[in-house]
Amino acid sequence: MGARLYPWKRPRGWWLRNPRYLGFQLRETGGVVSALYGLILLNMLRQLQVGESAYTAFLDLMRSPPVLFVNLVLFALVIYHAITWFILIGKAQPIRFTAKPIPWKTAFGVNLVLWLGVSGAVVYLIFGGF
Amino acid sequence: MAHETEAPEKSTMWNPGRDAVHADHGAAEPEVLMEPMIWGLFSLGGFITAFLFPVTLFLLFFAAPLGLWPSDPGAFDALATRWADPLVRLFFLVLIGGSLFHGTHRLKFMLVDAGAKSPGVQGFFDVVLNGVAILGTLGALFYALSGWLI
Repeated sequence: MGARLYPWKRPRGWWLRNPRYLGFQLRETGGVVSALYGLILLNMLRQLQVGESAYTAFLDLMRSPPVLFVNLVLFALVIYHAITWFILIGKAQPIRFTAKPIPWKTAFGVNLVLWLGVSGAVVYLIFGGF
Repeated sequence: MAHETEAPEKSTMWNPGRDAVHADHGAAEPEVLMEPMIWGLFSLGGFITAFLFPVTLFLLFFAAPLGLWPSDPGAFDALATRWADPLVRLFFLVLIGGSLFHGTHRLKFMLVDAGAKSPGVQGFFDVVLNGVAILGTLGALFYALSGWLI
């Protein structure tokens, strides 16, 4: 009789049992939220194409108090996803420009500086500045 | 410029002993092509999402209604004017495509972690979620080119 496999199954609610697991699930959710925003931006381009009244109606909906509140929660998840991404870059794939890998905290700091620089470039190059 | 070539056996790289030996050559698994490509797009989308999404969402949806910006970068006139710039069109194409490939791939593995492990169900997720990412990216490409090249 051959050996039978018993694959380990995660217990229900596993991600609530440890703050680290909860953090992991929140960052995963932030990634999924980014796809949701991708679809929202796609719809935004569609409304922009249709014309001013359609686009303004879309923007008014996005900025209405209940949607704005939901947006703020989702935005927080996107920010959390971004910051944890900057943290894990130096951990998951240690960067080796030197004899020893660069410490993850240094990689994280460099990523934050890059993030600020890229964000400034987006403000000026994409949105035309202040 | 002429490119000098030398016989392989004279090259310092030449080492016949380094050739891989396959003991079970006949039973080799088929080459996997799609999975690394999807993972690559997921990873690239992660970079794009992390670096570009926060500032874009802030300027479009939060800056003006919360009174945190002197102008309204998301207003129709402002965005319609900026939309004439090909760089802006390319930016939104990359942003939408990157976020869709990143987020749908993440969603698939969240669902797999939640228990949807059978190959049939995973194949279904692959078709639907990659389909959303591909169609969404093509949609963004259409809008990026619309009124400019098409």
